[in-house]
Amino acid sequence: MNKSIDHKMSKFRSIGTQIRRSFIITKKDLRIYYNKPPVLIQGILFPFILFIALSIGRNIQSVYLISGMMAMILFLTSTSLGPIVFPWEAMRKTLERLITCPISIKTILLGSMWSSLIYGVVFSSIPLILGAIYSVIPLNINLLLVVGGMIVAGLAFSCFSLILSVPSSSTPGSTMILTILIKFPLVFMTPLFMPIVLTPIAYLSPLTYFIDIINVSFGDLSVFGMFGLMIDFGVLILFGVGFLFLSFFLHEKTLEKRFQG
Amino acid sequence: MSAIIVKNLSKSFEVSRKAKMQTKSNEENLGKEFFAVDDISFEVKKGEIFGFLGPNGAGKTTTIRLMTGVLNPTNGNITILGKDSRTDALQVKQLIGNVPEEASVYVDLSGWHNLLLIGELYGLSKEERKKKAEYLLKQFELFEKKNFKAKTYSKGMKQRLLLSMALMSNPEILFLDEPTSGLDVKSAKIIKEIILEYNKKGTTIFLTTHDMDIANELCHRIAIINKGKIISLDTPENFKVLVQEYQAIDLTVENGLLKNEIEKLNYIKEVQEVNGGYHIIVDDMHNSICEIVDYVIKNNLKIKKLITYQPKLEEAFLKIIERGGSK
Repeated sequence: MNKSIDHKMSKFRSIGTQIRRSFIITKKDLRIYYNKPPVLIQGILFPFILFIALSIGRNIQSVYLISGMMAMILFLTSTSLGPIVFPWEAMRKTLERLITCPISIKTILLGSMWSSLIYGVVFSSIPLILGAIYSVIPLNINLLLVVGGMIVAGLAFSCFSLILSVPSSSTPGSTMILTILIKFPLVFMTPLFMPIVLTPIAYLSPLTYFIDIINVSFGDLSVFGMFGLMIDFGVLILFGVGFLFLSFFLHEKTLEKRFQG
Repeated sequence: MSAIIVKNLSKSFEVSRKAKMQTKSNEENLGKEFFAVDDISFEVKKGEIFGFLGPNGAGKTTTIRLMTGVLNPTNGNITILGKDSRTDALQVKQLIGNVPEEASVYVDLSGWHNLLLIGELYGLSKEERKKKAEYLLKQFELFEKKNFKAKTYSKGMKQRLLLSMALMSNPEILFLDEPTSGLDVKSAKIIKEIILEYNKKGTTIFLTTHDMDIANELCHRIAIINKGKIISLDTPENFKVLVQEYQAIDLTVENGLLKNEIEKLNYIKEVQEVNGGYHIIVDDMHNSICEIVDYVIKNNLKIKKLITYQPKLEEAFLKIIERGGSK
């Protein structure tokens, strides 16, 4: 009996240690990768270009402009760092050293997830802050809901980005091409800068649920009705957990290929 | 007690297009399974420096990757300090330090931050990390450049930093994959000295190399691996016994000396004329020198040059590889 309790306790301690160590990976990722060209291009340049392409010449309500920009930046930025960490570490030959440290592959992935989340939340706050400065966002904004939405959606997007780094490439460039091919259609199938229209495709995009949360926080009604926020958060959590565990499974399966002659 | 026990270890890979090109394998082998490590067993004693020698592609790096948890074995098991490398992977990693062959440091971080990062990942306290990092940077003669990004370091400095990173956690076992390969003389010397120093303190060292001098100077025992199989395991001295025929003397005598006169002396196996002198293959170095010197004095001759050649581990290695194993 005591042995079983001891075993469980040591397992919990070990999980706690691994979570703590994932924050060390986060610190390392943010320090090393925040200014890498693929991250800057996908995380900052692309949202800017897409914003111009999708908004110019359209009569957009300021509230939808802010929620659309936040969703686009959060999605593109929080999925810009995750996919390059593994190929970059493999290319620079630091991955082998890292995985022989007392951390699991899950720890490294969790660390990348936190860093993607931080990166996404920081940059997607910019339109919100600008909106507040220029009095574009309503005064009755539910800030708690906005922050909660940004964190939950950011986590879902970050977990999604971990899947994009599964292919065992050691050239970040080829991973970036793949991520563009997957990420851009997702942006285009989301009703950005307009009231949400629930097409079958929009249901599939996690961005839809985040935009709905932001619109509600700005005083709009949820497109999903009375239980809208529960649906929004529920779906985003499901997406996040699903992507996270899928990424654990896939990375554990493909890791060896990175070290094969 | 054994530090490492490897039992019936095998690792197979599918022949990829890249591997096919590297090994010059045939097209029909594509997609087939090949064994990079094929049913090997050995033990490394605590406090030992154990060398793993073999030609390129012999399976050295795959073996070290299996032991350090980078790869999972196809068959067999590895026990490190009493713990199974698969089921207790994290505990095993906590006890070991590793310098992979092709690994690099984080070039965007300073030497100092590289060490702190590794210290943190091994769970060292802030104080411990700083103290240990400072000590290692001084020991590896990198302290003056501690705040420079590692991208400004030379190859030798990066390798020294990598080794110091592996030593941050005071590992009980240190895995070194080709630790001095392609390094400048100074870096290689520092690394060799530190390997010996840590071994004296009790650290078990497992190193792969194809540098015979390193193996000869550092290792207590050596395993020779070829085509995924261990073909021989012994001490460097015993390996050299296998190639006693490589004992030779180069001799040049001023007043001339006939080849058939040397051949008549005891302990002489073979005499070859080379550049006005003789290359003499001998049975026994000491006695053959005594015979030659005695003959020279008696006949009032004058030695211009006398150079001795002892058998080298390299020759033993080549011989063992050629015949596919020792006794």
